[in-house]
Amino acid sequence: MSKKKDVESVGRRDFFRKAGLGAGAVGAAAVGLSAEEGNAETAKPASNSAGYRETAHVKKYYELSKF
Amino acid sequence: MAIAVAQEFITEEDDLRASWYSLLARLLAAPADDSLLALLRGLNGDDSELGGALRALKAAATTASPQAIEQEHFDLFVGVGQSELVPYGSYYLSGFLHEKPLARLRDDMALLGIARGEGVSESEDHIAALCDMMAGLITGDFGEPADLATQRKFFDDHIGCWAPRFFENLEASPSTVFYMPIGTVGRLFMAVESQAFEMAA
Repeated sequence: MSKKKDVESVGRRDFFRKAGLGAGAVGAAAVGLSAEEGNAETAKPASNSAGYRETAHVKKYYELSKF
Repeated sequence: MAIAVAQEFITEEDDLRASWYSLLARLLAAPADDSLLALLRGLNGDDSELGGALRALKAAATTASPQAIEQEHFDLFVGVGQSELVPYGSYYLSGFLHEKPLARLRDDMALLGIARGEGVSESEDHIAALCDMMAGLITGDFGEPADLATQRKFFDDHIGCWAPRFFENLEASPSTVFYMPIGTVGRLFMAVESQAFEMAA
């Protein structure tokens, strides 16, 4: 059973490599993956126009939730 | 600390998968800020399709202005009255927001020990949130790194059933320059994930 799993793992690894997953050297560190950033559904808004965008978002949320 | 320990147990390819999910999450959670644009400009794609998409994204990040990106993001996802796209699972799966697909997601999140971040107003089935959750499942943010069967079930139930169509829509949108290559990257990565899960069956 473990042998089959090894074969499958190698298959997946080769597949990912050919698919180009290592393409841009998109490492976890580069993307800033960290425990605190999990579930970042709404990132912090930019300093300017933050107020405007928040308002538009909130309006849209209430509008759509009328259903 | 917890992340460093968890990553000892995940393979290099799983680490890469997680970072692709995280990248998509960052690209779609909010308009790209300066640090994200700088990251994108530093990418180098190889000869694969995915690599080509990265190069297109890099080019877009180099030429697009932050104001144009904010405008694209607004037109696509916020809009005045109507946005072009509605990047939520419920919407794609049922035609409405806050429907049964969201309820099913919340149930599964509870089982997996995933909670919505504090101060987050978007519902949990936003594409960026779902990508963050996949990344967390792979790397063990919510406990142990999830095994492949758990990852696959989450992907099939909450992402694979609609996100490919969303990324196609994003890619095909006539009004985008910066977000189009994000659509391409997302579409290709979703296909890679789907095929890889099939292989592991």
